[in-house]
Formats: sequence, C-alpha cells, structure tokens
Amino acid sequence: MFRKILVANRGEIALRVLSACKELDIRTVAVYSEADRHALHVRFADEAICIGPPRSSDSYLNIPQVISAAEIANVDAIHPGYGFLSENANFAEVCEASHITFIGPTPALIRMMGEKDRARAEMAAAGLPIIPGSDGAVPDEAAAKRVASEIGLPLMIKAVEGGGGRGMRMVRTKRELIPAFQTARTEAQQAFGSPSVYMEKLIERPRHIEFQVLGDRHGSVISLGERECSLQRRHQKVLEESPSTALDPATRDRIGKQVVEALRKVGYSNAGTVEFLRDADGSLYFIEMNARIQVEHPVTEMVTQVDLVKAQIRIAAGERLEEAVGSFTSRGHAIECRINAEHPETFVPSPGRITAFRVPGGPGIRVDTALYADAVVPPYYDSLVAKLVAHGRDRAEAIARMHGALDGFVVEGIKTTIPLHKRILAEPDFIAGKFDTHFLDHLTAAKEK
Amino acid sequence: MAKKSTTKPAGGAEVGGVDLAEVERLLAFMEKHGLEEFEYARGGVHIRLKKPSAAAAVGPRMATTWDTSPPAHAAISDAPRTPSHGNAAPSPAKAADVHVIKSPIVGTYYASPSPNADAFVAVGAKVESGQVLCIIEAMKLMNEIESDVAGEVVQIFVENGKPVEYGEPLFGIRVREKK
Repeated sequence: MFRKILVANRGEIALRVLSACKELDIRTVAVYSEADRHALHVRFADEAICIGPPRSSDSYLNIPQVISAAEIANVDAIHPGYGFLSENANFAEVCEASHITFIGPTPALIRMMGEKDRARAEMAAAGLPIIPGSDGAVPDEAAAKRVASEIGLPLMIKAVEGGGGRGMRMVRTKRELIPAFQTARTEAQQAFGSPSVYMEKLIERPRHIEFQVLGDRHGSVISLGERECSLQRRHQKVLEESPSTALDPATRDRIGKQVVEALRKVGYSNAGTVEFLRDADGSLYFIEMNARIQVEHPVTEMVTQVDLVKAQIRIAAGERLEEAVGSFTSRGHAIECRINAEHPETFVPSPGRITAFRVPGGPGIRVDTALYADAVVPPYYDSLVAKLVAHGRDRAEAIARMHGALDGFVVEGIKTTIPLHKRILAEPDFIAGKFDTHFLDHLTAAKEK
Repeated sequence: MAKKSTTKPAGGAEVGGVDLAEVERLLAFMEKHGLEEFEYARGGVHIRLKKPSAAAAVGPRMATTWDTSPPAHAAISDAPRTPSHGNAAPSPAKAADVHVIKSPIVGTYYASPSPNADAFVAVGAKVESGQVLCIIEAMKLMNEIESDVAGEVVQIFVENGKPVEYGEPLFGIRVREKK
C-alpha cells in the first residue's frame, strides 16, 4: 500500500481524497495556488506545497510544478481528482516516468477515451450500441439517401469540422433530406472552410444515463449501477440520482453486462463512467466514457455503500477487485444536488466571502464541501459550493429528505442555487420521473431574461 | 561607487554597517556556549546568526496542521509554517529598499553550480540584474535563478539542498540606488 499520496486538485474533491487516504493510513500532500492559501485541503493534509499563482494553468494544471512537488515530498502516488489533470494522458505518462503511480486508468486508456470518435469506434467494436450514423463524411446526395434509410428519421446533419451548434440541420421527413443536406454543406463551407458533413440519428427526448465501473489491474471489471444525469443546464449537470426511473431491471442488467464485457476487452482499470443517451423508445446508445472519478460519485456510494475513492487507491496499489471492493448490494435511492455559487435565476457567478454557513445533517444526508463560514470563494475556479446528497429507502423518501436538507442549508454572503434545487424538487414532472435533458433548460429559460 | 559609511574601525571589512570581525567574534561566542542561534539589535543594526541545522535529513519544511505547533522534525530555527503565512523562515527584511527574490518554481535549492563548487553568492555579495544567484532543481532539470535587480545580498533565506515551494523567499537584496 502507498505510504504517501499527493492530491493534485483542490476544493471538495481534494478533501474527499484526503479522507480516503486517512482511512487507509496514508500520509497526504496537498498542492495549492496562492488563491487557496487558506483552503481546507491545505489545512487538513499532512503536508502542503504552494505550486503557483491563482490561475489554474499556472498552478493546478502546471505539470512540472505538480511533479516537482511530488518529488520533493517523496510521494508514492498522485490522485488527480476530477477535472484539471485527471484525464491528461501526458500527465499520467510523466507520473509513470517519474516512478510515481497515477491513481487512475493507464495513459493508453485515458487517451482512447479522450478521443471521442476513437472511443466510440472502440466501444462499438467491443459490443456497445452507438448512435446510428454515417460513420464518417457523407460524400454526396446518393449516399445521404442511403444513410438516411439505414439510420431512420428523424436525423441530424452535422459539419465534420463543426461545433457551436453551427452547420447542423434537423431532418424529420424524407422530403427535407436533400435540401437540408445541401444547405448544411454550404453552411459548413462558409463557417468552417469545409463542406464535409456527417449524419446521425436524432435522439428524441434524450435521457443521460451513465454506468459507474471499477476495474482492477488483473483484468476484472464490475458495474456498480447507473446514475441518471438528465437534469443539466447548458450541458452542465445540476442534479443526479440513482437508480434511474427510466431503466427496468432487465435493461439495467443487460447494459451493465455489456459495459463490463466491453471494458474487459479493452483492459480498462480503475474508476470510470460509461455515458449513454436513452432514446424515447428506450434504446440506449453509448456516447462517451469518462476515465476518472466523477463529481457525482457520492450518489453511487450512498446506494451501494462502496467507497469508490478508497477502491481507486487500492486498485492502483495492485489489489484485486475482491479485496478492493468486496461484495455489495444496491439499496434505496440517492439524489445529489450540486450547489453552485451562482444566482439561482440568472446564474451570474457569485464569488466572495461566505458570512454564514450551516450544513444540514440527519439520517441519509451527506454533504461534500470545502467551504466554511468566513471562507472566500475564489473567482478562478469552478463555482461548486457543495454537493448535497440525500439517500432514502425509496425515491419518495430521498426527495423528502432532500427537501428538508435544502431548507436547512444556510449559506450567506454569496448567492447559491439552493432555491433552484427546491424548485426542481417541487416540479410535478420531476417527482413523476418524467424528464429529459431539455427539462432544466426549459425550467430556467423563463426566468433567465 | 561610494561605500556606505558608518562608524567602523579603520581597515575592517563590513557588511551592512556591521564589522565582520565583530561577527566573527560573535560566532566564536556562539560556538563556545553551544548556541544554535543568536540575534540582537544595536542602534540601527539588527544581526541574526544561525548555525546550519543539525537535523539535515528532515523532510520538506511544509505547512502541516492548522494548530501552530511546529512540525516535530523542524529544526529550532525554522519558524512553524502555518498555511496562512504560506512559508516559514526568518521574516523577510522589511526595509523598504530590500527586494525579496522568491522562488518561481517548486524544487530543490542549491547554492552552488555543482556539489563541490563555491556558492554563487554569499551574504554581502554585490550582484547585477540578470546574475545567477542559485539553482533550483525540478524534475532533474537545473534551473538557474537570476536576480531581477542590482544590489547587495543582505539575506539568504534557504539552506542548500532544501526543498522550496512557489513563492518561497530566497534572497533579500538591498537594491542599489541609481545614480
């Protein structure tokens, strides 16, 4: 087992890793920017090293500084948390070259999953369903017709070199296909300098469902169930829960087995999350994999009672899944609210000094936060104030507990999105489990003038 | 360039207004009485003498627990480093014309270009802007740290071979007045 671990991150996830290390009797080293001098992860680590000025690129993303800190502190391993360097294959390689264990997948797998097209191709080859599409550029109108009949309608035509919502056209009827194809090509040429377009089935009323996995370095992989993450605002997750109200046991079982099989084939190890979009007809399509621990991991921890971060450390130290994880069962329902330092209606960021901070407790309540009364939320990093997680015997109890917890969570001095979460939980469609990835954008659009 | 004048014995070498012969006497005094550290102020002069720490094999002097008790391994002369102050060491000279050179990187501080060579500078050395003051080794690369001012080295805050973090004070340089 490692003697000493450096946490290459900040905020609540750094604290999370520190507590896992403490439980395993591992000494800890924190790194921090000048803006985080008074941060809790600096206080609670056994050692702390300042690695740069406030800007992430000069500090938390600065590989030479992080590695140099790891060397002078003589650590055995680095845990990268999420964000920052956690999916930087180059960083993982530098760690290896410096004889420091990177707590995560291998550089090759990080790279594979980081290149989204390649990830889709590999996972498709390994047996996962992917969104039906043209598999590359569609060269001409004849090809467009052929692809359309294969993948069915409705479909999207997208620019190969594109992004930002431009060079995209929706096609609902056969009649629209060729005119849309031509317009999309013209638009793509003008916007991106290349008329190349590809085609993809349009997923209607999509739901974002992801599977948590753990793999060891001896070839075993397990699935710890799914999380529903459809409540997103501008593609940022706001609320997550497990299990998903959209999955029946048979589908859960089937997809779980497919995921495990695919990841065994590619030799995946450590923690990861496999993301799917669920179509209105119930079909699930692989979209991407995140080769790291995720923000919403507590949802799975509350349901399975598996400590995912400790498992990561143990797996990286060479333990097999039987020891690192052991057996577990999924019980009850968990919901996580991401509370951000933003105005709850306009979403304008609200950094600054917190003047009052009272965290809720009681049965089934977990709060992951790095903030406290008198702390200053710096403007340089993400706006996450706290992750509030509620677990109950069933979804109704989880929702009821979350209501109470949100009411009991007092944060003053900055604006937070607590009122937004209260609103979400009171929405009939949310309570009924009827929503998709557009739900929250619709809910918030009206207020956000 | 005119030397600064203070009251001093004729012929004596001098650093910052203090007669070096006097400093040597103080060092002998410390040796005789087994002192690790000696500090006094007289008139406008403030002297602090510190023997190299006996506990040379200590780990990095890093910020640790929030309570201000010093880490067990710290040498007596290391002020307890608490996160709110960011770094230990003798407090950097507060005189208005003393410029503190801080480490721009994390690494290991070396006073000389190689193990057996002389140190780049010592207290009292006159340095020019751009002159190499020390090396900080990071990831097997030797980074030369240059002075960004011209003047005289009045304080060296770190010990050879010790780890340093970003922003750690390295040298105090009394900036030469421009004529």
